[in-house]
Amino acid sequence: MSWTIAVGVKQVPDADEVGIDPDTGRLDRASAPAVMNGPDREALEAAFRIRDQAGGEVIAMSMGPPNATSVLEEAVAMGCDDAVLVSDRAFGGSDTWPTSLTLARTAEALDADVVVCGEETTDSSTGQVPPGIAAHNDWAQLTYAEAVDARPDENRLVARRDVEGGHEVVAADLPVVVAAAYGEFEPRPAPLHRKIYGENDFEPTVWDAEDLEIKDEVGLEVSPTSVGGMETVDPVERKSEVVDDVDDLAESIEEVVA
Amino acid sequence: MSPELESDTVADPNYDDEFDAIVVGAGLAGSAAALTMANRGLEVLMIERGSSPGAKNVFGGVLYTPTIRELTDFENAPVERYVAERRFSMLTENDETAFSLRPGEWHEEPHNDSYTVLRGEFDEWFAEQAVEEGATLLTSTTVTGLLREDGRIAGVETDRPDGTIRAPYVVLAEGGNSLVSEGANLKATETRENVAVGVKEVLEFPERDGVIEDRFRLTDDAGVSYHYFGEGAVGDAFGGGFIYTNDDTVSVGVAYRIEDAATHDQSPEETLNAFKSHPAVAPLVRNARTVEYSAKTIPEGGADSIPDLVHDGAAIVGDAAGLVLNNGVHLEGTNMAVESGYHAGNAIARAAENGRVGAEALQVYPEALEESFVVQNLEHYKWMMDAVEEDRDLLFEDLPRAFADAGTEYFRIDRTPKESHAKNAKRAVLDAVGGWTGAAKLALRYRKVVT
Ligand SMILES: Cc1cc2nc3c(=O)[nH]c(=O)nc-3n(C[C@H](O)[C@H](O)[C@H](O)COP(=O)(O)OP(=O)(O)OC[C@H]3O[C@@H](n4cnc5c(N)ncnc54)[C@H](O)[C@@H]3O)c2cc1C
Ligand SMILES: Cc1cc2nc3c(=O)[nH]c(=O)nc-3n(C[C@H](O)[C@H](O)[C@H](O)COP(=O)(O)OP(=O)(O)OC[C@H]3O[C@@H](n4cnc5c(N)ncnc54)[C@H](O)[C@@H]3O)c2cc1C
Repeated sequence: MSWTIAVGVKQVPDADEVGIDPDTGRLDRASAPAVMNGPDREALEAAFRIRDQAGGEVIAMSMGPPNATSVLEEAVAMGCDDAVLVSDRAFGGSDTWPTSLTLARTAEALDADVVVCGEETTDSSTGQVPPGIAAHNDWAQLTYAEAVDARPDENRLVARRDVEGGHEVVAADLPVVVAAAYGEFEPRPAPLHRKIYGENDFEPTVWDAEDLEIKDEVGLEVSPTSVGGMETVDPVERKSEVVDDVDDLAESIEEVVA
Repeated sequence: MSPELESDTVADPNYDDEFDAIVVGAGLAGSAAALTMANRGLEVLMIERGSSPGAKNVFGGVLYTPTIRELTDFENAPVERYVAERRFSMLTENDETAFSLRPGEWHEEPHNDSYTVLRGEFDEWFAEQAVEEGATLLTSTTVTGLLREDGRIAGVETDRPDGTIRAPYVVLAEGGNSLVSEGANLKATETRENVAVGVKEVLEFPERDGVIEDRFRLTDDAGVSYHYFGEGAVGDAFGGGFIYTNDDTVSVGVAYRIEDAATHDQSPEETLNAFKSHPAVAPLVRNARTVEYSAKTIPEGGADSIPDLVHDGAAIVGDAAGLVLNNGVHLEGTNMAVESGYHAGNAIARAAENGRVGAEALQVYPEALEESFVVQNLEHYKWMMDAVEEDRDLLFEDLPRAFADAGTEYFRIDRTPKESHAKNAKRAVLDAVGGWTGAAKLALRYRKVVT
């Protein structure tokens, strides 16, 4: 028995490079280079650990524009066996509902036993997509997973979950969706030859909405979220003072603390 | 009907002998070699330890571009400013005596092939030129050793899992801290007297625009290269300081013998801070904020320190081969790195065309380098490091002070006649150099600096 493990990886603007347009106060995402969502690296690591135990294949999936290919190449460089890009103009304007649906259908088409996602993205950070995938497919879900333990004989996946005040250990029957707790799965270095292959010679399979038979179920029209309005908050003026020596500094601190 | 994955994914990729050559380090020398080989149809893999080429590069400065210009379209290169002024300053603890050049010709293309650059940007661009010609760039990967087969070099080992890869030729372009070449016994570890440490800061001026233009008297893309020596620059160490203007930052740094850095009780950072606080320097960097600090070694052994440049299956280029000219008047390594990378790349392309891998097949590289300005310049200035070392106190302490005193005397305003001022000025200098005979000897010894 070997498992098929699908991993959701999303392309996001590089958080280090996202600026704020001084005139509009809006995040200027367009000018930031696109990179793999940081938590998704850890999702990949969690998936590799499951593969180490249960055997099988790790397949990266991304819903995004054609240039999201680069994060899939990176995923293959890091150790994925294959990758699929789900891309269609029809996806434009999708919120978490159709996004989860699309990924749920993709996981189904891949015949996935396990789906691993990151805890949340750095650009929208709703954390809704992994539970959404589970809900659409009526699969089990293990969110905030700090550790995973594959039990191929039992056809179950066990996870230690971070919960308030401690942790719990939960076993789920396959198929299951896992959201890997951020900071718990240090990604392993990519093997040399895989890295060369992934970055230079690999090309992902591309599926569109029609392939997944969800053309009428995605996009802006069917997205229930509507943004009521945006407000920018003016930065609070902070007091700053330059002191010449350590004693003065200590004094200033004391003043504030007192 | 469920869609299918395309099935041409390679399960176990292996690139052994898929590349004709591996280049260790995507600095100037490495990218020049890769670009040259790719241009000649070779499959080239560049391996760089930084997250991008140049990410780990400390460099204060002026890029000399005569060879780069020949190798690629230089029009779109990310340069900061062209060098419109060169200034040489002698600093005592409190005085500055300076000599400045602003030739009109430097304002015109190709600007004497001298541009300030930020290596983070420039190296990335230059490596990109090689990639556009077909080379493959692999970043965040450190080469840890060389693979040998039957005594010859047959590939490299890296810090990654499954990390060994074979290729017929390896170009070592790893810069001055050449651990791979040394580890493989391709060159001896430099003696301490032949290694300088360079520390550099990039400063910005947040308070307002136009600070650089105002302070350095610049318009448009013009920039400056200021060099400082004497005890006000690096204390009693052997070396100097520099300031270069970038587009909206300045690079300021010091470079001096590691031996002095280790034996004297001042850290490189303290030396740099002292330089920045010198009364002649401080106003130039006033109200600046440091955006980057970095330190690196500079090989300065000159012609005597050049190791065997070719081996069976490998060539050494750039700083790894000790190709830096650093003598107080010139600090040039960028042009030599590119020139050496170019000749090595050509030699490998030729050997590959003939299907040969032995050192003798690569011999055209050292031969071409001998003929080029690289070795010619290093040979020409070989004597200088020794001479300067011998006259160190005189050149770095006594003379700067004597010139400052002479200037002070010569232009003194008081109620004694100018003739007596001139006499005092002359005496200050002659005392320092040991009279007219001393002056004549010095002039003779250093005439080759300018001839
Ligand atoms: C109020 C609001 C309005 C929005 N409006 C729009 C809009 O009009 N147009 C638009 O294009 N977007 C819009 N978005 C963004 C879009 O809804 C989300 O980016 C997307 O649904 C994923 O949600 P998330 O980024 O919060 O993912 P999370 O739920 O935070 O992600 C968790 C994990 O799920 C996986 N995952 C998430 N997204 C993907 C993906 N695309 N591919 C593969 N794996 C994935 C990753 O493993 C990730 O780590 C909006 C978001 C919000 C919050
Ligand atoms: C402070 C300072 C100021 C200078 N000022 C000037 C100047 O004004 N003008 C001038 O012409 N020259 C100057 N130089 C010299 C110049 O910087 C060098 O001569 C030039 O950079 C040499 O180029 P290179 O490609 O040989 O080496 P480097 O530029 O050092 O490039 C080596 C590359 O190899 C990579 N690397 C190293 N080891 C490994 C490994 N094991 N695996 C993978 N990658 C590796 C490094 O990350 C780097 O990208 C200065 C040097 C210093 C330190």
